[in-house]
Amino acid sequence: MDALRARSLSKVYDGRRGRVAALDHVDLDIRTGQLFGFLGRNGAGKTTFIKIASGLLIPTSGSVELFGVDVRTRVREVRERIAIVPQEGKPFYHLTPREHVEEYLLVRGASSETARDTTDRIVRAMGLTPYASTPAMFLSGGLQQRTLVAMVLASGAEFLFLDEPTLGMDPFARRQVWDVIRHAVRAGSTVLITTHYLDEAEQLTDELAVIEGGHVLYKGSAEALKSKVRREVRLHFDGGFSTQELTPFGEVYAERGGLTVMTTRSRVEELTRAALERRIAVTVGPVTLEEAFLTLVGRSIEEDEAEGGAT
Amino acid sequence: MSWRTQVRAVLRICWFNGFLGLARSPLVLVALFLTPVSFLFFIYVLAPRSELPFGVVGGILFSCLFTGTGMMNDCAYLRLERQLQQVFISSPLRPISWVLGMALSQLVFTVPALVLFLTVLLLVTPVSALSFLALLGLIVLAWLLSASLGFLLSTFFRTLREIWPIGMIVFTSLSVIPPVFYPLAAVPADFRWVAFLAPSTFASQLAAHAVGLPVASVPSVPFLSSPAGLVVGLVGLTVLFIGVAMRFARWREP
Ligand SMILES: Nc1ncnc2c1ncn2[C@@H]1O[C@H](COP(=O)(O)OP(=O)(O)OP(=O)(O)O)[C@@H](O)[C@H]1O
Ligand SMILES: [Mg+2]
Repeated sequence: MDALRARSLSKVYDGRRGRVAALDHVDLDIRTGQLFGFLGRNGAGKTTFIKIASGLLIPTSGSVELFGVDVRTRVREVRERIAIVPQEGKPFYHLTPREHVEEYLLVRGASSETARDTTDRIVRAMGLTPYASTPAMFLSGGLQQRTLVAMVLASGAEFLFLDEPTLGMDPFARRQVWDVIRHAVRAGSTVLITTHYLDEAEQLTDELAVIEGGHVLYKGSAEALKSKVRREVRLHFDGGFSTQELTPFGEVYAERGGLTVMTTRSRVEELTRAALERRIAVTVGPVTLEEAFLTLVGRSIEEDEAEGGAT
Repeated sequence: MSWRTQVRAVLRICWFNGFLGLARSPLVLVALFLTPVSFLFFIYVLAPRSELPFGVVGGILFSCLFTGTGMMNDCAYLRLERQLQQVFISSPLRPISWVLGMALSQLVFTVPALVLFLTVLLLVTPVSALSFLALLGLIVLAWLLSASLGFLLSTFFRTLREIWPIGMIVFTSLSVIPPVFYPLAAVPADFRWVAFLAPSTFASQLAAHAVGLPVASVPSVPFLSSPAGLVVGLVGLTVLFIGVAMRFARWREP
């Protein structure tokens, strides 16, 4: 069964700058037990989607069901089965990481014993042991974020909404969070996570959606996204070429004082030969998810601009 | 979640937000004592000694009404700045349990001030056991009324910046302008009914009845001169405020 099913979901905000369509007829399915990633530029509509799906924001039109329960009309039933890390949420000033996790579990209805044991496990798994008894106001930003994420992941809720949970965390901490998330999924949770770290999305998620301007541009695996943009190879030149020369081969980015071009396997030889003739160093490697993302979203922006220009 | 689990959750929220909050930032206490104690001081210095019980009762009511300001600030802060309200209600916890836990926390912050004022009251004027119980009942009603109002308002703010002007307007009209720290008799007889536009006047008049202070009559609305009428009025208003808060509090952003 689908854990989440959104149909023609739209949200129009009436803001100071006029009406903003944050979501535009979005259809999306997330299967039970999936670890689903949400990618998109700032303002793409990720948080809006999560707020609607978790019952915190009323959509303009369309519907979302969680485990077959309509979020709009039966929000109480939905809430019993979810937990959420809001984007830029923060813990209480005066409570310690241990207290956060344990009290949150008790408030959610866990027995004292379960709450204590789960708290022990999560505090350890999230690397919070040395800080377990320090009030959050004395903790660094990343540690506060870890505290918030720890309490929500400890819930083991059936559906976990994680809006940029690893924001501001160091690479070690991020990996600890990934492990705890994977553990939750093995235990039966379904996860919807947003992130701007593309390596995180690639390593963690089973499937992902790329959202841009309130539309779902892509849904599938990270691997399939890379092949979809039909760019398998990235070549980096330490100068010696102009953007115009490289554009026919694929998308070009200025990078590290030179140019990087995303292209297909068949054009590699031609390009490396040209570089060698000009006696220029060239590095060849596989396209990363980040580059596939940049290409996909970049093309969509170009199309929009072209349309905008025509009308 | 069963209702027993909900009750336990309410008490947990009161524990970690109220008790631990107070224990770890006792500055809240100073803030809570400051206003009513300074009013009491003015009355002590400026008014004849016989008016002192008015000031003490005023301090009690003011402290109860202050829970509304606290509720409004804390709930708005936890929703907007910390986003913790969202974290807590996106769970088997009922929203109403969250509100009750927060309201009880506010009561915890107020208890030290209430204990002080009640003690002073017992020192300056004789209070029977029955009157004392009546006062406690009044305290509960005033707390429920202002906490409901505070919470309701908190759900409409979009930024923390909007809080203080609204807070000033609403809670000044609730606790400073109406006869809380001064007797209703100071208001010209024909205009006394106007004071009853603020629910706090019902509470202050009932408190005056309970403690045996002189009570002014309201010639234009005789119903407001009798204790029974005042009880009906205050209980009715409290139920109304709770009902309006439950019905209109904004749990989901539009
Ligand atoms: N309360 C609001 N009022 C008006 N417009 C809003 C509001 N919240 C969001 N928006 C607009 O809706 C669009 C989508 O915002 P949203 O927060 O969903 O983006 P996001 O994908 O989560 O971005 P980010 O990566 O920066 O978190 C943006 O254009 C934003 O300006
Ligand atoms: Mg966002």
